[in-house]
Amino acid sequence: MEELLHLKGIVKKFPGVVANDNVDFTLRKGEIHALLGENGAGKTTLMNIVYGLYKPDAGEIYVEGKRVEIRSPRDAIKLGIGMVHQNFKLIPSHTVMENIILGLKDVGFVINRKKVGEEIRKLSEQYGWRIDPYVYVWQLSAGEKQQVELLKILYRKAKILILDEPTSVLTPQECRNLFHALRKMAEEGIGIIFITHKLEEALSISDRITVMRKGKIVATKNAWETSIEELTNYMIGRPVLFKLDKNKTDSSEDFILIRNLKAYGDTGALALKNVNLTIRKNEILGIIGVTGNGQQELAEVLAGLRKAIDGQVLIDGMNILNYSPLKLIELGVAYIPPEPIKYGIAPNLTIRDNLFLKAYRYKPYSSRIFINLREVEKKAEEIIRRFNVVCPNTSIKARSLSGGNIQRLILARELSELINGWKPRFIIAAYPTKGLDISAAEFVNRTLIDYSKTGSSILYITEDIEEAMMVCDRIAVMYDGRIMGVFKPGEVSIEKIGLMMAGAETLTTS
Amino acid sequence: MVIKLSSRFFKQYTVKIEKRLEYSRKFAILTTITSILIAFGVAGIALSILGVDVVVAYTQVLTVFTKLPLLIEAIKYAIPIGLAALGLNIAFRMNFWNIGAEGQIYMGMFASTGIVLLHVYYGLIPEYLVLITMIVASFIAGGAWCTLPAILKAKMKVNEILTTLMMNYVAIYFIDFLIYGPWRDPKGYGFPLSVPFPSYAKLTILFGDSVYLGSILLLTMAMVVFLILKYSKLGFELRVIGESLETARYAGINFVKAITLGGFISGGIAGLGGLAIVSGIIGRLRPRASAGYGYTAIIVTLLSALNPWLIIPTSIFFGGLFVAGNMLQATLNIPGATIDMLQALIFLFLLFGELIKRYKLRIVVRGVSVEH
Repeated sequence: MEELLHLKGIVKKFPGVVANDNVDFTLRKGEIHALLGENGAGKTTLMNIVYGLYKPDAGEIYVEGKRVEIRSPRDAIKLGIGMVHQNFKLIPSHTVMENIILGLKDVGFVINRKKVGEEIRKLSEQYGWRIDPYVYVWQLSAGEKQQVELLKILYRKAKILILDEPTSVLTPQECRNLFHALRKMAEEGIGIIFITHKLEEALSISDRITVMRKGKIVATKNAWETSIEELTNYMIGRPVLFKLDKNKTDSSEDFILIRNLKAYGDTGALALKNVNLTIRKNEILGIIGVTGNGQQELAEVLAGLRKAIDGQVLIDGMNILNYSPLKLIELGVAYIPPEPIKYGIAPNLTIRDNLFLKAYRYKPYSSRIFINLREVEKKAEEIIRRFNVVCPNTSIKARSLSGGNIQRLILARELSELINGWKPRFIIAAYPTKGLDISAAEFVNRTLIDYSKTGSSILYITEDIEEAMMVCDRIAVMYDGRIMGVFKPGEVSIEKIGLMMAGAETLTTS
Repeated sequence: MVIKLSSRFFKQYTVKIEKRLEYSRKFAILTTITSILIAFGVAGIALSILGVDVVVAYTQVLTVFTKLPLLIEAIKYAIPIGLAALGLNIAFRMNFWNIGAEGQIYMGMFASTGIVLLHVYYGLIPEYLVLITMIVASFIAGGAWCTLPAILKAKMKVNEILTTLMMNYVAIYFIDFLIYGPWRDPKGYGFPLSVPFPSYAKLTILFGDSVYLGSILLLTMAMVVFLILKYSKLGFELRVIGESLETARYAGINFVKAITLGGFISGGIAGLGGLAIVSGIIGRLRPRASAGYGYTAIIVTLLSALNPWLIIPTSIFFGGLFVAGNMLQATLNIPGATIDMLQALIFLFLLFGELIKRYKLRIVVRGVSVEH
């Protein structure tokens, strides 16, 4: 088969890390090639090199057998390479057509809008999409924006298509649509590189799968010849137990009641329109949905970081709506925030300081004015060990930790009974495994399940449906600031969940 | 950032500017010293253009630090500078860019002089309490002057750089008004001066020289700042706030309270600097009594890397420059602004030094990289 792209011995070093270590990679005509690996394995770096965003320190790139040097995305586009980034690079205040022809030379000085518009419409229909070239990009959903990104590349007649984690913003239905379209493109001879860290996805869409670990290629396999178990082994170097032992008694005692909750988002629009939920004792209630449908606002309201305008939040019968963060901390509400580096830790303070970010004000860690450093140090050492935070000592800056260790540090702070020896009664975990490698994610989920067994109620926000099925006792689907339904894992089909996530269906039972 | 050298000869080279992940202490100190030496070098060029014998001039500067009476003089100047710098240290730790130490110094002078006048004109405070009252009052006055911008920032996100800076001018003109008006000494032949302070209102009461009590004040405050930042709950909160207000909110820290209190202490310590000027150096109030010590303090604090103990030698160095400036003006007829120029150059090159500390150049030759 004809080779579209051949990478030979690519090396890329960043200060302190080797992101790509002598990488060889080939892409054939008409194939979908999944590039699989954990976060930080070097997948995106490699593709950024192909797209001309980074220059490799060593190595050669061949496109259709010819040695090329790709100095910028412009070179890449000229060579017929297109890339859809994880966060879209469209201009929201321009129309679809304007975005697609932006930077194109051969549309001429005076643009024949009718002709170009018709071409775009035809192209979009070819893949079963309905994209109106005259609407503004801000009017589109995430799935449609992705289609525009793809159209932009296809309109340039690209031969090589790179997609960086394309499914992270899509509902299951949108995913299926995307996969159909990608298959069609492959049939037309386009080579597609599909970057992902989700194993099932790689297996279901691709022809070949290349696994990267720590900057190196571990294996390249035909998709029909491999299995989830084998791929995990390649990805993290050891097998992982996919079944988490939940094994606990069902509780029917409602512990947390959220009623008619309404709150504004950052933009001033209502982000929570009317949220009603109950969380039982010993229960993990999952919240799934496409990111940006009010999940983060819900977490912030519950943690006291965002003011609600209406509603009630009862913990054990006590209305805690709009309590200050401090009061909630003292009531045993723990919050594991999204984007830990931004909100969860103070990166330039020491690990010790970060552990005591909330507990520093309580006895025995401080008196009225001063902090009792000896006590703090002793306790810090102890919980670091208990939560497996890997670090030389507790006096180093928190930012020198890896993502997984930062999340462990946050868990240690939120869950380790630092304040008066209290166990958290209510844990709000917002995307707690996002961006973590498999073993770190496993640790987080295990810890949360352990806490739910011993009396904590947990709200678990995630965008990964499978993860929610694995970890949660009940799952709520959130769409546009409302709860579309609550169900037990396995009760409802994936199709139906997808429809709920898209706001097309609600569930009244359970 | 990448700089491409595009001539034919350099074709295969690319110079990259990369962030350094870390640097050693030794490297940091070396860069700082080199920056200061370069500043002296450049100032030397300017001086020789003015027709000054640079060797003679710099030898004189050096004597400030080698001859004991001159060194003591340097320390006297270092006291207000160091106090202001210690105050700034607290503010800078919480990411509060207090440019207003100068104004806070003037408010310290206002309060100290006010207490003396209350005593002299109205006999209100007993003699033995005058100095201690002055210390407390100057702390409160300087603190209040900084509390206002602190509250504005904490509650309404008003930019503190603008408010603190502008409040400097308010303070300076307020003192001008007092000293040309109601506070002018009636027996002072019309000069814009307050009454001379009685001996028990001056820092000279200890061993007859202001350097002793002044130094004690400076060292005590260094200790206070060190304890606050390193061991107190407030210091912990200020450090978290300095990192990120979001994180502080998340941790349940009452940041309005912490910023207000931090601002008060910061301005208060700077206010003590005002006391050190009127009660230590001049012995009365006159207009424009601070020669920009509040601004020099900014350089001192940054140069000391927010370490309260380093502030002491650093402010002695800058105090010495003030003394040297006065000396050169008298002996070599060099304009007084030379010292301002030198200070500015030192600051400029320190900023360059900071760049060198954080970034490094790397030359890439056709895919092979050479570290520099």
